[in-house]
Amino acid sequence: MTRALRLLRRRLVGSVFVLLIVVIGSFLLLEAAPGDAVDAYIVSTGGDAGMIELLRHRWGLDQSELTRLANYLWALLHFDLGQSVTFSRPIRDIILERLPTTLVLMGSATALSFGLGSALGVYAGARPGSFRDRFLSIGSLALYAVPGFWLGLVLIVVFAVDLRWLPIGGIETIASGKTGFSRATDIAIHLVLPVSALGFIYLALYLRMMRAGMAEAWRQDFVLAARARGLTRRRIVLAHVARNALLPLVTMLGLQSAQMLGGSVVIESVFAVPGLGRLAQEAVAGRDTPLLLGIILVSAILVVIINLLVDLAYAVLDPRVGAGEASA
Amino acid sequence: MNWLRHFFRTPEAVAGALILALLAAMALAAPLLFPGDPQAIAGPALLPPFQDWSLPLGTDRLGRDVLAELFHGARTSLAVGLAAAAAALLIGAVVGTLAGFAGGLIDEALMRITDAFQTVPSFLLALAFVSIVGPSLGVVVAAITLGAWTGPARVARAEVLSIRERDYVAGARVIGMHPLEIAFREVLPNALPPVLALSSVIVAAAILTEAALSFLGLGDPNRVTWGGMISEGRTVLRTAPFLSIVPGVALVLTVLGVYLAGEGVVESTAVRRSLS
Amino acid sequence: MSEFTISRRGLLAGSALLLASTALPTIGFAQTPKKGGRLVLAADSEPRNLNPAIVASNGVFFISSKIVETLAEASFDGKDGLQPRLALSWEGAADGLSVTFRLRDGVKWHDGKPFTAADVAFSALQIWKPLQNLGRTVFKDLEAVDTPDDLTAIFKFAKPTPFQLIRNALPALSSVVPKHLYEVGKIEENPANNAPVGTGPFKFAEYKAGQYYRLTKNDAYWGKDEPYLDEIVYQVLPDRTSAAAALEAEEIQLAAFSAVPLADLDRISKVPGLKVITKGYEGLTYQLVVEINHRRKELADLKVRQAIAHAIDKDFVVKTVFLGYAATATGPVPKNDPQFYTADVPTYPFDVAKANALLDEAGYKRADDGKRFALKLLPAPYFNETKQFGDYLRQALAAIGIDAEIVNNDSAAHIKAVYTDHAFDLAVGPPVFRGDPAISTTILVQSGIPDGVPFSNQGGYKNAELDALIVKASETLDTSARTELYKEFQKKVAADLPLINVAEWSFISVARDRVGNIANNPRWAVSNWADTYLAG
Repeated sequence: MTRALRLLRRRLVGSVFVLLIVVIGSFLLLEAAPGDAVDAYIVSTGGDAGMIELLRHRWGLDQSELTRLANYLWALLHFDLGQSVTFSRPIRDIILERLPTTLVLMGSATALSFGLGSALGVYAGARPGSFRDRFLSIGSLALYAVPGFWLGLVLIVVFAVDLRWLPIGGIETIASGKTGFSRATDIAIHLVLPVSALGFIYLALYLRMMRAGMAEAWRQDFVLAARARGLTRRRIVLAHVARNALLPLVTMLGLQSAQMLGGSVVIESVFAVPGLGRLAQEAVAGRDTPLLLGIILVSAILVVIINLLVDLAYAVLDPRVGAGEASA
Repeated sequence: MNWLRHFFRTPEAVAGALILALLAAMALAAPLLFPGDPQAIAGPALLPPFQDWSLPLGTDRLGRDVLAELFHGARTSLAVGLAAAAAALLIGAVVGTLAGFAGGLIDEALMRITDAFQTVPSFLLALAFVSIVGPSLGVVVAAITLGAWTGPARVARAEVLSIRERDYVAGARVIGMHPLEIAFREVLPNALPPVLALSSVIVAAAILTEAALSFLGLGDPNRVTWGGMISEGRTVLRTAPFLSIVPGVALVLTVLGVYLAGEGVVESTAVRRSLS
Repeated sequence: MSEFTISRRGLLAGSALLLASTALPTIGFAQTPKKGGRLVLAADSEPRNLNPAIVASNGVFFISSKIVETLAEASFDGKDGLQPRLALSWEGAADGLSVTFRLRDGVKWHDGKPFTAADVAFSALQIWKPLQNLGRTVFKDLEAVDTPDDLTAIFKFAKPTPFQLIRNALPALSSVVPKHLYEVGKIEENPANNAPVGTGPFKFAEYKAGQYYRLTKNDAYWGKDEPYLDEIVYQVLPDRTSAAAALEAEEIQLAAFSAVPLADLDRISKVPGLKVITKGYEGLTYQLVVEINHRRKELADLKVRQAIAHAIDKDFVVKTVFLGYAATATGPVPKNDPQFYTADVPTYPFDVAKANALLDEAGYKRADDGKRFALKLLPAPYFNETKQFGDYLRQALAAIGIDAEIVNNDSAAHIKAVYTDHAFDLAVGPPVFRGDPAISTTILVQSGIPDGVPFSNQGGYKNAELDALIVKASETLDTSARTELYKEFQKKVAADLPLINVAEWSFISVARDRVGNIANNPRWAVSNWADTYLAG
């Protein structure tokens, strides 16, 4: 256990540096953008020179970049994410409002792609080279190759418009006043399509990894030994082959966590889900630097935590892994 | 030539290679079959496919020839995919080799930067980068590269770590070669195969990212890309579904082709390695 | 269906609908207004500041016009195209130095306090004049507002101000907010900007960012038996293709502001239970304009600008880009404006040969590759149609040997590139005509506007004669003389082409048949919806 603690400490120090690079890098990137929050705002209003100057002053955009970066970092030290210029509200509140939605969406989509992907991977990899193996692995690849927004639109047309089984979008029935269990059910129903659209894309990833890992495992000594002992095929597949192929998938889960947020930008927009991905897109369009920084920071922290958990799980589960080796 | 035989042994790899060959032929033939600007208005708007044989796949919202766009789109989509993959592999291999070979502080610093890039969702990074610099084909490629080089860097580093302790590297040290020379002439070439194995994934991801950027209105408007065609066609998804289905099928086939062929290469090299 | 094809043909034949501002809405079948129900409709953007007195824009009005009312609203058949709201009558003095408003009696704010002339005075002096995007121009000479009694407000101007302009500005610029809530603290930071309090038929109930805005019925509304609806919910649907799907799935009952893409209208008009309505936006006309950077030496040449005007097939643009839901433009005032429009201006029929000849004359011969010169074209990203027209324009220019490269920016970058950095040669913009050329039209060609002002002349165009005409019109009090000056203005603009007006368009609504009293005024989508109902 002390090894796990040592790993934790080491990774935490590294994480602070990583987050600092992320914040400063994103800030500089956004500062290089043509047009600021005022330019984005006046698109819908127009206004004369005096009004524009007034707005720049009110939003603090007339200060130099360095002053603003320093102010931002100083506030960050006090765990203050600052004020959004486009929402004119504290960024912490805005993000906290959206975070659960995104976590549920990404969590369910990951569970779907990981769970179904690895299960189908086991099914396919149990008989390498068989028809079902080929069919599943190519079919999942084809799904992976479909652009997410297009898959989303087709799902909407089929299941929401033509069949009317599911709602076309949103996170829950608007202003329904539902609470407790019925609200949870309502949210679950609304999430079926976006989770499918997001999850099916990444299905191929886990399916193919599982399958490849199993192909590898079939050749290993302990499997040969198990076969020699006369164990049933099903038993070998589940107890030996699949279990050994699962570990790299866990690593993938950590690496993939950052990418899902990117994928959810488009899915959240198609399905009108009020999550962080869409918020990030709005922040870019509105040149809301502090808001985008807040989102990137929060998602980076999430990713760091997830990877930390993955590493710890590794260190605990697999004693052969030395501290830091898993993902240094 | 031995591995070619291995390569063509799996039907998937053959199918992948065929698709890619067809695609390359399309890309090369585009300027010959459809000279001039593929975005020129060629007929009435929203002509369905198979109605007019001079416009076999019909026309889009402005009356542009869908078949011509499809062919020219093959050029840009492939160019985006290949350029982004090449750039990502190059940057990744160099960063990974430097980090792995130098070790110490340089390794630590480079790996933390890699971590930082890996922590930020690559699509979000691409989105912000393109909105900021303005969409043109080069910028889109750069934006995709920004999020794609970290994978190759990690693989290259891991590979270098295992290679650098080998005899021939020690030998090169003994004869007094410059460390950078050792890194790039002795270590990198040997670390390359597993890095190259990532290329098919990156090409496929690049083509898809370009499509998603176009969906958000961040494609290069002066070039036809399949992603741009799909995103333009989606507003008429119900009225003229062919406008998004035709480039969509092309996109799926391409990504599939790249993947399958890539996997074929990886498997056949693995076979070759295990044989040698 | 027949309704739809007829109106569409009418538009193609000469924009009959856009012209017919007195036409009464007859779409749908006779229904008796029914009380109650929740109207759910699509919203594609989420304005943060919902105070229409500060932000006079259609995006804000779309929601807040139901909560906060103006002094008067636009009308198809009322005097001067207006109908009373908070003001019952308005009268301008002959010297142009004052306007007297008689206000409605017995009106209450949503918090129960009475509405009085003091609220009007406060809104005008503290908000419209110093803070409002459009009011800063129109009310710049407003000096004081006298309130001899609770129901009379007399606007006093330092300089003679045309009454016609004030009148035309009333529907969009005169939102009245409660003084008692705004007089403490900074107006820009007032919480009521995000949860507005007004006198309108609906009260602000809640806003869930990224999800919806909800308004509820104001039981104490001054209108007899109004409003009909119990609730209005704006469901945020950021992707334009989802509005049509939501209508078909019966999750929403209305999609205004062309939330359903034009290309989908033909299909959706055939869906049973849905109707396509082209009326109700006559007072919200958008203009498709090619903005020109006169700093480019080629474009400073009138012959080149004329050539570009001749190279654009306006009928094709209306037919293909707008699918018939637009009208071709002749000049800076749209055809459907009842007061100022004149057709008596120089025109530029589609004629590629003539355009080529003009360019040859100007001395820009085709090089060996067939190209004369290259330029940068920046289509505004706010509408699908502006982007599509950009694609078309690139092709139209190629036909006359001009090699245009399209630069695609997002909104903020576009605004900065065109209006601050002047980093464009041609741009495609959608300025809005707001019922009077002095509100937001003359600044498109006037010189001397500081850098960075959006939707203004940032192309470096300078024409002393035109500038003088604009100033003179802004000081002319007599309505008919003023109108004549603006006709002159249209002629001059069409002759000298500081910019090229290509088309004019409004928006389309799609609604379920149950929704009644749609499109019964020229600014319907941004009016108060007190009489809108849902039939059983």
